[in-house]
Amino acid sequence: MTASPTLRDPATPLWWGTIVLRWVTLVFALAAVLVNHEGYDRPGLAWTGFSVMLVWSVVTTAAFARESTRFRWLVVVDVLLTCVVMLSSRLVLSDSQFAETGPLVTTVWASVPALTAGARFGVGGGVLAGLVMAVCTGLSRYTFDLDVARDGVLLTASGLLIGLAATTARRSQAALAQAMRTEAATAERERLARSIHDSVLQVLARVRRRGTELGGEAAELARLAGEQEIALRALVTTEPSRPAGGDADLRAALQLLATPRVQVSGPAGEVRLPAGTVDELVAATKETLSNVDRHAGPTAKAWVLLEDLGDEIVLTIRDDGPGIAQGRLEEAEKEGHLGVATSVRGRVNELGGTSTLETAPGAGTEWELRVPRPKQRRRGR
Amino acid sequence: MTVSVMIVDDHPIWRDGVARDLAEHGFDVRATAADGEAALRIARTVRPDVVLMDLNLGETSGVVAARSITGELPGTRVLVLSASGDHSDVLEAVKAGASGYLVKSASVAELVDAVHRTAGGDPVFTAGLAGMVLGEYRRMADAPADGDPPPRLTERETDVLRLVAKGLTAKQIADRLVISHRTVENHVQSTLRKLQLHNRVELARYAIEHGLDRDED
Repeated sequence: MTASPTLRDPATPLWWGTIVLRWVTLVFALAAVLVNHEGYDRPGLAWTGFSVMLVWSVVTTAAFARESTRFRWLVVVDVLLTCVVMLSSRLVLSDSQFAETGPLVTTVWASVPALTAGARFGVGGGVLAGLVMAVCTGLSRYTFDLDVARDGVLLTASGLLIGLAATTARRSQAALAQAMRTEAATAERERLARSIHDSVLQVLARVRRRGTELGGEAAELARLAGEQEIALRALVTTEPSRPAGGDADLRAALQLLATPRVQVSGPAGEVRLPAGTVDELVAATKETLSNVDRHAGPTAKAWVLLEDLGDEIVLTIRDDGPGIAQGRLEEAEKEGHLGVATSVRGRVNELGGTSTLETAPGAGTEWELRVPRPKQRRRGR
Repeated sequence: MTVSVMIVDDHPIWRDGVARDLAEHGFDVRATAADGEAALRIARTVRPDVVLMDLNLGETSGVVAARSITGELPGTRVLVLSASGDHSDVLEAVKAGASGYLVKSASVAELVDAVHRTAGGDPVFTAGLAGMVLGEYRRMADAPADGDPPPRLTERETDVLRLVAKGLTAKQIADRLVISHRTVENHVQSTLRKLQLHNRVELARYAIEHGLDRDED
């Protein structure tokens, strides 16, 4: 895996945008001072203000280019310092220049702090910085006319928009990181379950069987091993919650249902289906198998066969128990014992499939579930 | 005549347990091995009738060992005894010449019967193996490779395989399809033989195309 996404600031492109904008607007400010300095009351102060802007542009570029130095206080200083330079225009511009609404020393350079505040603090910070700059514009011109109001709206709106973009980027990154963690955890859980099923459970089963044969103290140990085997088996067959919309391997999911009494067979490769379909089919299989446990007696064996016919999935669950007498099922259904048969049929019908139950006294029961493979997906191998 | 057996498994508890079970049932357990390379080396000198083999062996895979043993030692048959999750490996081992496949959760009685059948030259066609073989024929029919057309199952062979995969015994299948017990066995053997033959042809073709046939093996 590459670097964890949580380590990177998703607003980084916005920061680079503010850096570029700061330099482009600085050129504007330079042009404004060059054009107007002869009409200024205090040209020296104008050049001092411009020098501060130049130095500050260098400092912020160095600081904001790297994630680790995008300090909160630096963004606050950015806003305040810009205010100070802007307010110095009161002393720089002549009265006639104010009357002509000539440009302030900072010109459009003053729009940048609202954007950095948005990138750093989100919507609230962006709007607040925009409002502060708007108020300063009004104070600098010592008037609140339509022009000042328009500048104020633009400043606040740009702070708002950048703040919104930064907040959205951070939220979606957090959601993505969460999804990736969930997916990795699910995959790891499935791998562990398979591994436990294939190694630890086999050994426990063996200890249980051999211990029972030996008797005495070994039989007691065997009983303990047996209890752990059952507990562990239940643990690994609990379906993990998957992120919605994904694919899953029905073959592997069914394999976890295998016990010494339940044989699961199917193709050697994966049978990939939408996760929801896999969950439903596994649940249906579990239900029929639990029915075998309940009605076919402790010695009955069961076989699960999965067949992938390309456009159709066929799942057969057979047991060699005593079977169900003719009419017993209909009888039970009439009496309101909906039970397993109805539940299994319901699940399969939901998936657009068909289910048939064949049974006869002494001949066991055999469920056949046929489910069409959802379209727009080819067989995944 | 006692059947001589060799057990290959990297899990000592399992290996010793199986060895004891088989010895108690009158088998001559000649040797055990923990990995594929040792299995091949020991099998060459011991020449057991049956090699009982797990496929999950680390370094040299069980599939490679099974192919070498069945290829080099005509008197020795390989029976795969594996955990339930190794489907692809089991299928490869059977295509490479192993005579059958039993899951590790099988009972001692099933194991004893399977080793006897293997020694007698009959395939051990469990429900699990039948499911995989069915799936493999369907896969080959679906994705035709260049070169030889893949083998196909006859309708009757498909019926028989499906019933085996659903856990019916040869006798139950014979009753249900109204054919003789021997015919059922023949159908089952034929599905496996076609698969192994196709595998050998494919391997040979691959070797010739890649110039591997000029090597000593």
